[in-house]
Amino acid sequence: MPDSHISPSEAVNYHGRKPIGNIEQRETKPQPSSRANAARELYFEAKSSVSMEFPYWYTRRWEELEGEIPMVRRGEALKAGFEHLSPVIYPGELLVMGKSAYYRGSFPMPWLSETFFLASEDSMYKEALESGKLTADTVTTIGKGGGNITKSSGNVISIAGKFGLRVEEMPILLEVAKKWKDRSVDDIGHKYEQLVPGYKEKEVIMRSVICMFDSGYTLPQGREVINYFYPLQYGIDGLIRICENGIAETAGHPDMDRIYFYKSCSSVLKGIRKWILNYAEEAEFLASVEKNDKQKQEYLEIADRLVWLSSNPPRTFHDALQLIWIFHLAVLNEDAISGLSPGRVGQVLFPYWKRDMKKGVINKEKTLELLECMRMKFTEIDCFASMGVVGGVLSGNTFNNLCLGGLTKDGSTAANELEMLILEAGIRCDTPQPTLSILFDEKLPQEFLMKGIECTKIGTGYPAWVNNQVGMEFILRNYGHESMNLEESRAWSIGGCLESSPGSWMPLELDGELHWIPGGSAPATSVGVHFLSLPKILEAVLFDGLDMRTGERIFPSHGCKLDSYDELWDTFKYYFRRAVQVLTLTNNIQHDAWRKIAPSVINSLLKPDCLKKGKDIGQMGSRYNSTFNIETTGTVNLVNSLASLNMNVFDQHLFSLDEYREAIKANFGFKTAQETGSYSLFDQIPTDENHKWKRIYKMSLEAPKFGNDIACVDDIMKDWENWFCKMGSEFRSLYDQPLYACQISVSTHGPMGAVTLATPDGRLSGTTFADGSMSAYPGTDKNGPYALFNSATCWNHSLSQNSQMNMKIHPSVVKGREGSRKFLDLIRGYLRKGGFHVQFNVVDSRMLKEAQAEPDKYRSLLVRVAGFTQYWVELGKQIQDEVIARTEYEEL
Amino acid sequence: MVYRCKDCKFYLPVDVIKGLCKLEKNSILPDDVACDNFERQAKCKFCSHYLPEKEYLGKCSEAGLAYPDMNASKCASFEWYNKN
Repeated sequence: MPDSHISPSEAVNYHGRKPIGNIEQRETKPQPSSRANAARELYFEAKSSVSMEFPYWYTRRWEELEGEIPMVRRGEALKAGFEHLSPVIYPGELLVMGKSAYYRGSFPMPWLSETFFLASEDSMYKEALESGKLTADTVTTIGKGGGNITKSSGNVISIAGKFGLRVEEMPILLEVAKKWKDRSVDDIGHKYEQLVPGYKEKEVIMRSVICMFDSGYTLPQGREVINYFYPLQYGIDGLIRICENGIAETAGHPDMDRIYFYKSCSSVLKGIRKWILNYAEEAEFLASVEKNDKQKQEYLEIADRLVWLSSNPPRTFHDALQLIWIFHLAVLNEDAISGLSPGRVGQVLFPYWKRDMKKGVINKEKTLELLECMRMKFTEIDCFASMGVVGGVLSGNTFNNLCLGGLTKDGSTAANELEMLILEAGIRCDTPQPTLSILFDEKLPQEFLMKGIECTKIGTGYPAWVNNQVGMEFILRNYGHESMNLEESRAWSIGGCLESSPGSWMPLELDGELHWIPGGSAPATSVGVHFLSLPKILEAVLFDGLDMRTGERIFPSHGCKLDSYDELWDTFKYYFRRAVQVLTLTNNIQHDAWRKIAPSVINSLLKPDCLKKGKDIGQMGSRYNSTFNIETTGTVNLVNSLASLNMNVFDQHLFSLDEYREAIKANFGFKTAQETGSYSLFDQIPTDENHKWKRIYKMSLEAPKFGNDIACVDDIMKDWENWFCKMGSEFRSLYDQPLYACQISVSTHGPMGAVTLATPDGRLSGTTFADGSMSAYPGTDKNGPYALFNSATCWNHSLSQNSQMNMKIHPSVVKGREGSRKFLDLIRGYLRKGGFHVQFNVVDSRMLKEAQAEPDKYRSLLVRVAGFTQYWVELGKQIQDEVIARTEYEEL
Repeated sequence: MVYRCKDCKFYLPVDVIKGLCKLEKNSILPDDVACDNFERQAKCKFCSHYLPEKEYLGKCSEAGLAYPDMNASKCASFEWYNKN
């Protein structure tokens, strides 16, 4: 942390010599193909846009089937949605199809929740009526919003500060939303969650933002790995046949509940088939009016490919890539989803690619072009949700994580040539999605690892580096009671930002040859108690259960004097456990409402062994079902605060707890972040009473901080982790499975910091928490990276679904071949110590400061946040300030 | 009736603010007045089953609630109210 006299111009933390001279640029990199570049330029111009086609047709069909079995009704409603989506194909595309009829398109799903647009119905409707002529210029001003439509203007209505809706569709949005009032997952869940004893405490917990959101109706699926095996192996017609056989086998039998699942799957598959054919028809139409021969030919090839794939398994690598994209989209369109990870796609598609290469059907340049096109399609994905979710959690990203490396079924290296090309495409076409992660294992070849380094060091923020053995250990421990074994644990992958997810080896047969391909085999692995703010709970402990921002009582008075560290720690655990207790129960009810009202059909039919069992994932049809967790934010601020109180209050008796309370209320004599508009510790402005708090502030800053290999603070981290990673097993999920620990911040450290008073570690009121869970608080890691690694590995990371560490490195440090080797050694150093994950921003922080001041000049600047890469201009200021403030390493 | 680009079968939407012309490939706005190449896109407001009720809302004689600007090219019940 800085000294209290630091000036704004020095508002960057450095480890090593402060850089001088011009801003250091990142290493130069090869450019994408002209085709991918054109798509990226179109993306930069495109705004997030929503349309009403899908929700209109879904709702219309749903109403027509009043009284039908809910699972069948759901399948038919989804079918109607897919069948009526307008196909849009953009010039130059090799991979086609989108979520809706816009480039960055999405749509509301009022069957999940209609609350956030109905709540503002009056103002929205008024805006719709009063809108005048379109003034494109004002809306297209990128400013700090990138593709976000932050304000209504002309014939465009802004929803949730991000999405644009045409004024012509506003009344139908409201009409359709009203139809779901008291019938949506949100409303039904809310009706029944109130039956939970102590429910009122949950409401206050949510209002105080100790907990960020309910997962049951906001993002009920995602943070998981999709499984592409079934469509690749059987094609759509083959899957429909499986469903029809299932119906015939189960009709009239005692377990005939299965029939409704098969019926629903069959309906949706027919809807997807029609959706694909609609696109084929559009491609043919475009070919008919196209003057350019090459483009005309490409449209005809698209039409041919889509007609084939509407029924059959893929013939080529290109076909296979198109088909997995279709199913990825199809799942995204059945629910509000973030973090639907494609998983180990390079290994899934390798048999097709290898065969095409052998036959001469494709070459490496063509492959790269296709992979770049794939990157653009994933980058287009938007998720329509409330402002709190899209801004406060997702930062506009949707976390589609593609993993590379790891091990094969028999324990050999799984890295392959296609994965090398996926990395190269990630270098050439640097876009936020899919983000890449390397499942680091000692068996991976050096050449592959160096390719990963080449990608990381150009500043893409990916690949993240993830410990394969630690991940496997977690998977084995968490799913062992569901028959997970060592061989199957090797099929794991990352779902979403960083959620370890179980996988299975699927027997893909191609030309009579068997290939074991990995794919996800569990539903969402990160639903449950999301997110819990640890510093805010500590605030409640210090103030006897009160939210000091609002004055509202959150928890019952603990009545403790807190005159010892142990009592403080025990009281923290007491409040934490209370929060988990009530949130687990209410969350289970919401997810129960979800599985009854809007059960997963498409994702279910893809996941082993749902089709075999005839059960959707909500009925535990999936092979693995221990998938609910407790997710936390602000770990390092909690640990640093406990260390500060331990030293200054209980050990050295420099201050009483009451003096700390007063200092916290006075924000250590500084203006709050809300007053200054700056969300990092820097650029803060003292108040007139600053002198009163100088000593306690100084001692708080000087208290030992996590990340410096100091035993007394690392022991606190270890105590926390050992307790937290085990306490989840006291609670049972909807599927009667124990909960587990999840420790990634995503973007919640911004808004959750914003509502939290100053903390005893010297962090000021309203400022952003440390990101991730193992990242040092900005500026506090003074002893170099290896000291940080020692601190971070003071506990066993395989006890948790994840841990997360971000580092920022100046580009000059990793320059050239020598820099790459040094960089890889650094990563190896952490992972060999047992660290689970580390990711990097390779950037000169002065560039970020400049980009904040002049965003229009930096439309394409990418940064790593916490498990995802995003365009700088699409990030909120809370997160921007935090990324700027992170310690920048000038030497390794 | 003044037709707009958004009502044309050659209009390719990029987002809610702008689109491309499928014929000319140029950037256009949805509310631009249509050019000589204009051909109507199948939309509810051009369908014989559509009955307008209030601004941006109406009824479909086949299904109840409907809205005029919805693309109806994939609707099985769509029929031009005036083929010209």
